[in-house]
Amino acid sequence: MNSIEVDGLSRTFNGLQAVDRISFTVEAGEVFGFLGHNGAGKTTTIRMLSGQLRPTAGVARVAGCDVTTEQERLKPLVGVVSENQNLYERMSGRENLAFAARLYGTNPGRVDEVLRQVGLLERANDNVKHYSNGMKQRLLIARALLHRPQIIFLDEPTRGLDPVVAREIRRLVVQLSTEGVTIFLTTHYMEEADELCRRVAFLSEGHIVALDTPDNLKLAHGQKSLKATLDDGQTLTISLDDEVAGKQLEELVSGGRLRTLHSTEATLEEVFIQIAGRGLSE
Amino acid sequence: MTWRVIAAIAQKDLIDAIRNRYLLIALLTPLSIALLMRVLLPGLENISNLTIVVHDPDRSTMVSKLRAAPQIKLVDVDSAATARAEVEKIKASGALVIPPNFDADVAAGKQPKLTVYVNNKKNNIEQGGFRRLVERQVESLVQRPPPAEVNWINVHEETASPAEREFNLNHMLLPLLLLLAFGMTGAFVVPLLLVEEKEKRTMDFLLTSPAKLTEVIAGKGLTGVVYSVLIAVVLLALNRQMIGNWPLTTLSILLGLLLVVAIGLLMGSLFQTTMQVNTWASLALLVLIAPSFSFPGAPVALETAMRFIPTYYFVEALKLSMAGTGSLRMCGYSAIVLALTFVTLFAVTWTLRREQN
Repeated sequence: MNSIEVDGLSRTFNGLQAVDRISFTVEAGEVFGFLGHNGAGKTTTIRMLSGQLRPTAGVARVAGCDVTTEQERLKPLVGVVSENQNLYERMSGRENLAFAARLYGTNPGRVDEVLRQVGLLERANDNVKHYSNGMKQRLLIARALLHRPQIIFLDEPTRGLDPVVAREIRRLVVQLSTEGVTIFLTTHYMEEADELCRRVAFLSEGHIVALDTPDNLKLAHGQKSLKATLDDGQTLTISLDDEVAGKQLEELVSGGRLRTLHSTEATLEEVFIQIAGRGLSE
Repeated sequence: MTWRVIAAIAQKDLIDAIRNRYLLIALLTPLSIALLMRVLLPGLENISNLTIVVHDPDRSTMVSKLRAAPQIKLVDVDSAATARAEVEKIKASGALVIPPNFDADVAAGKQPKLTVYVNNKKNNIEQGGFRRLVERQVESLVQRPPPAEVNWINVHEETASPAEREFNLNHMLLPLLLLLAFGMTGAFVVPLLLVEEKEKRTMDFLLTSPAKLTEVIAGKGLTGVVYSVLIAVVLLALNRQMIGNWPLTTLSILLGLLLVVAIGLLMGSLFQTTMQVNTWASLALLVLIAPSFSFPGAPVALETAMRFIPTYYFVEALKLSMAGTGSLRMCGYSAIVLALTFVTLFAVTWTLRREQN
């Protein structure tokens, strides 16, 4: 069953085509990566799919709701973690969530549940302005989880976070996915997408230029070869398409000269550069 | 619209606003000025509201006339000896000791002796007001016709109504303080509540939540209304003796505060940053409070210019209702203008925000 169905979705701003006839589906419980450089149209797509922005053309159904005509029914079914840390800084973490709970009509007891889930219960009464970036990000995720949405949109959830906190956020994403929540993730970090996403879509200048599993994309655009480093420092590239590759490998291993052996398949970033023409950080 | 959502937004803003030092100062400024004026000018509110101790065993005509005046409070005492002590005890403006057979003695031309105690601890304005009152009452007892009839004619046509003429300088204070309070809420607090949501991108969160745009605007408006009502209640309590007609005054204040809140919502929709609000809010505040400085006999051009400021109609309605002589019919025009302006501003705000989205 599909959680998200998008067909020919477009959005223009003052004549500028931000998103141009994109189509894709996301299955229930799937972690779906939406990758692209700045200004590619990722956030605009999230805003359309979460009911914040009306599409100029095309249709999209999220959690069974038409994003144009059924926004009010859609909103309680989705949670959004914005790329901006849009929290009320003069309020405490608990007050931020209590306010969200009142908006959603959620049981106030749920506030402490999600605070515990993201590891912020101890600091719940501190003002948000005293939180670190990582704590703010966890609070944003807690707010998005508060009303038990079917789908969560995560817009650059680990941007600017230190590796330990980023790993914690990724752990949360995996946990949510195993609980059946559909995750729509945008990220600059290709390793993150590779690790978390069942499928990824590459977005470039408002168009989807590739959509598949990370493995398929890497296989389709990478080389089938191995790189061997020998004891004397010499390196060898062994093409797996070569008929003698097996024999070469056997000789290296039995000869005891092999120090390291690596596959040379493309990284997701290299695939993106090949397809989109430039890297994510450019 | 869902009341739960509007109430949640208003509740959040009521708490969040007072944690913002800038907004807190804007809210407290009019109250501080009101309290400061009471400390610096303690007798100001008593200029036209005199408390007089009276010993009048034979119920004289002069005291009966005073008893009928709405702005004079008479406190009766049993004996002439206690009048002076009562003045000190209740901090009255003064006391009148009317001798027995006063009316008959006046009619017989016997010049009865009227003893007047003046509370000289009161400020000069109040003492002067009390002395003039007594002198006028005594002069009115003279039965013979005046030696000449004086015909007073204004050089310029009188534009103020009788009710407006009753509105004295003292009564300018309350409209000014109320307009200042409402202006602060309208020009600073409400726009900043909206602009801050945009600037800090929390508006994105609100619009992904079940809150509709109209509910967000209504929530901000409700916050402004609650703060304005609280401030108005305090200001009215501090100046309660100035109010002649409470129901009309309450209606005028309600319409006035709705108007300035709608102006605030419009400003909040037009501006995108706190800096823009800060730049324009002071100018807006000056324009909003300008009508409270208008007075009977002001130049026609100034009076005409003021009519283009919506708060002019608030001041007009308030003047009439405070004087106690205005009726709903007299305040009706101002009330209709205020109500229509409020509805128009709210509709423009809603349309603007919808288009921005």
